[in-house]
Amino acid sequence: MSLVSVQGLSVVYEPNGAEPVPAVKAVSFDLEQGDFVGLVGESGSGKSTLGFALTGLSRPPARVSAGSIIFDGVDIAGLTPSQLRVQRHGGFAMVLQSGMNALNPVRSIRNHFFDIFAAHGHVSTRDREARAAELVGKVQLPASVLDRFSGELSGGMRQRVSIALALSLEPRLMVFDEPTTALDVLVQHAVMDTIRELQKSERFTAVLISHDLGMVLEVTERVMVMHDGLIVEDATAAEILAAPQHPYTRMLLSHYGDPRAAVVEVPGLASRGTERATDVAQAVAGGAPVGEPVESQGEPVESQGEPVETPVGEPAPSAPTAVTVRKREGRAARESIVVSGVSKVYPRPSRRDQPVTAVNDVSFTLEPGASMALVGASGSGKSTIAKLITGVEHPTSGTITFGDLRIDTIRRRQLKRLHTEVQMVFQDPYAALNPLHTVEYALTRPVLNYSSLRGRDARRRVLELLETVGLTPVEQFAARLPHQLSGGQRQRVVIARALASDPQVIIADEPVSMLDVSLRAGVLALLDSLRETWGVSMLYITHDLLSARLVTDQIMVLNKGSVVEEGRTATVLQNPQDEYTIRLLDAIPAPRSGAKGGSRHPQESSKKGLRPPATVPTSSPPATVPTSSPPATVPTSLTSPRSPS
Amino acid sequence: MRYLLGKVGLLLLTLWAAVTLNFLLPRLMPGSPADAAIAKLAQNGPVSPSTRAAIEAQLGVPTGSAWDQYLQYLNNVVHFDFGVSYTFFPQSVASLVGTALPWTLVLVGFVTIVAFICGTLLGVLAAWKRGTWLDTLPTVGGTFASAFPYFWTALLLLFFLGYVAGWFPTSGAYGSAATPELTGTFLLDALYHSILPATTILITSLGGWILGMRSTMINTLGDDYVTFAEANGLHPRTVAIRYAARNAILPNLTSFGLALGGVVGGSLLVERVFSYPGVGYLLYTAVVNQDFPLMQALFLIITISVLLANFIVDILYGILDPRTRR
Repeated sequence: MSLVSVQGLSVVYEPNGAEPVPAVKAVSFDLEQGDFVGLVGESGSGKSTLGFALTGLSRPPARVSAGSIIFDGVDIAGLTPSQLRVQRHGGFAMVLQSGMNALNPVRSIRNHFFDIFAAHGHVSTRDREARAAELVGKVQLPASVLDRFSGELSGGMRQRVSIALALSLEPRLMVFDEPTTALDVLVQHAVMDTIRELQKSERFTAVLISHDLGMVLEVTERVMVMHDGLIVEDATAAEILAAPQHPYTRMLLSHYGDPRAAVVEVPGLASRGTERATDVAQAVAGGAPVGEPVESQGEPVESQGEPVETPVGEPAPSAPTAVTVRKREGRAARESIVVSGVSKVYPRPSRRDQPVTAVNDVSFTLEPGASMALVGASGSGKSTIAKLITGVEHPTSGTITFGDLRIDTIRRRQLKRLHTEVQMVFQDPYAALNPLHTVEYALTRPVLNYSSLRGRDARRRVLELLETVGLTPVEQFAARLPHQLSGGQRQRVVIARALASDPQVIIADEPVSMLDVSLRAGVLALLDSLRETWGVSMLYITHDLLSARLVTDQIMVLNKGSVVEEGRTATVLQNPQDEYTIRLLDAIPAPRSGAKGGSRHPQESSKKGLRPPATVPTSSPPATVPTSSPPATVPTSLTSPRSPS
Repeated sequence: MRYLLGKVGLLLLTLWAAVTLNFLLPRLMPGSPADAAIAKLAQNGPVSPSTRAAIEAQLGVPTGSAWDQYLQYLNNVVHFDFGVSYTFFPQSVASLVGTALPWTLVLVGFVTIVAFICGTLLGVLAAWKRGTWLDTLPTVGGTFASAFPYFWTALLLLFFLGYVAGWFPTSGAYGSAATPELTGTFLLDALYHSILPATTILITSLGGWILGMRSTMINTLGDDYVTFAEANGLHPRTVAIRYAARNAILPNLTSFGLALGGVVGGSLLVERVFSYPGVGYLLYTAVVNQDFPLMQALFLIITISVLLANFIVDILYGILDPRTRR
């Protein structure tokens, strides 16, 4: 008998005085003892709602409206809260998405454990100290964390603690709801490893809810893909990799790629091979489009005659010239941002701490029309650099110039001039727009501030901006309030706002990290096209190496405030020299190469392409893998139509 | 410990600053009390030198350097010597304040604490049983009651329960026949007299505590650690008290500190309406009669009580919130 059997389960949201919204629609599946199952979907797919229902945590306005969840012979959907509470010991546990906030800030970690032991009485007062120490040991934390409060722990440690707490219930089913999403890239990887090891050693059934298909494919054996409240695909990880059946799964899959590959592309984004020959700076200067000779480091041969546009030798687009010249009339000539020897030291936070060097002797030049990636884990100083370039903060030493403007010593009065040319796109589109004002208002303000357009002209400019970022029909979008827009649409508004002053430089700080995978490509393509058609240069700040590979030509890798590696994006990512860059690359879930710690030599790995499905951690016999997808054809470009060759 | 020492140090420093300001401010003003009195007289005609000398002798003229005066002042403050009241001559300011302070501290202080505790508990209950009658009744009732200005509530109670029904005395802290002493009869009499003013303060301040606690509690109920505690099968009472309410009370402590600090100075209207012999009533009398020594002493007392209340709340924070201890 299955451990969990879900039959025709429906969950509806019934907000007060509003129409009920179905979130999970008659879903059925079984979970066997010891399964490790991934539940993948984008925001709004109902995956978390399903996870909460599985662990008996559906709370108003959510309600299980139909169906049953048979857990070990008992329908937990029909239990009263107090019956359910008793079931939790030895039953089902949940690890929440934001493990950062899953701990009571005013209770010590020890008391968290003791509360659980007291609630279920399964650990006596005599044994509880030893048991708590043993549990934190299982998540690789020292027993001393028991004395701590959550505010004294890092994000990764907190998430480990909440895993240990869930484990203290001795559950047979553990549901992990986006357990690593809020964590730093490198920490994510480590926490995921812990979860994987625990699942093997403790033998519980695990459900991993995530938006990240790449990670789920790497970690789990079986994957359920959820879309619009339905499970649209339920198959082994190997099967999904080899032959995804549902169009939605295929779409999700198509947005993953290996930044190390010779040619990387996702739908909607032009392929970017070894190097791009665009030299917008020259185009802007009115020079003839010059196709730069391109070194061919990667091997486009890998695409094996697929209809992938090979970028090598592609002439620079000449179209932007005309557009740009028209647009830039009466404005300052294009300038580079030159950062030289810049450091930023923050005073020590308290008497016992050392001063924090956020940025340490960083130099680079952002040429007109260039696109440069600034990558690093959190705390690497990449956002501080954005603040320094936008004049929000002044560097401790070094100079930053933009034409004749000294940004490093800029005064308040000159900021307006700087911000006419340098604009910022923020990470969180949900927080970057005032919820009380319409899109039109949000865009009119900068138009009035930075241009001489007034009245009808200003409005025309606003609509023009909306058109530029692809929010059509423009009249309709102009009248909307932020909450009436999707995340991707909001981010387009934020981009339009940044464009309102007609800037030369856009600083994009993690512009897509809050967005669903399927929306990311669109926003990235928009940013990329701005550069090509308008000649806007872009500093793209991210921890996501794949997107850096997709939209930038140059890259700088930051670690603890220092540049550890820089160069052409494709070159650096394909042949990383610094240990830190390699670690960042290895932290990317690599469903294609199966196990972690995949080859550090991209040329080799891309030649090998997909490893045989047998190396994907799966219990299913290789025979179930459709033979129509020989690994060799799936190598580098995820969009490649899988021709059964 | 380190936290406690820091807070004690801060308290001493602010106390010193308050006392010094109280010394400096009157001296920064042009003229002296004698000048003010003479100027008043001068409106009715010329003031003879002998009158001037008499007034100066009566009110006193500063002698010695500013530093000597300051040391003298500090010495006086330490010995609770604030001079003689103009209004209640020849009673000393210290004895006047000493008589009034206990009445206010006991009545208003006690009621403020009771209101905070009751309001917080009702707020916890309202948030935990959200949407039931346990939520609606205290919330609506509290909002309704605290919507009245409190002197208006005081007048209503005074009129209906004191005057019309005659159940409670309408003024004073004890019956005219009684003399203040520590006997059972006197304490009962004082208690009887305090019911109306206490009820007034309770009614008008309870609603604020209920609403404040309810809304912060509803916020913490939506926090992840509450969901996680439920997911771990903790007892509902543990979740409500130790997880939700325990965190929800923290922001309300600040308001409690402010309310506690306002106990001494803020009871003016209630004490005026009920002719209650507390600090508020005394301050009112002092202001009306331009009794400068009394006012100066009362302002100092009010400042000190605010500082002490903040100190108490800081200590409470240190106990209740581990994040402040670092």
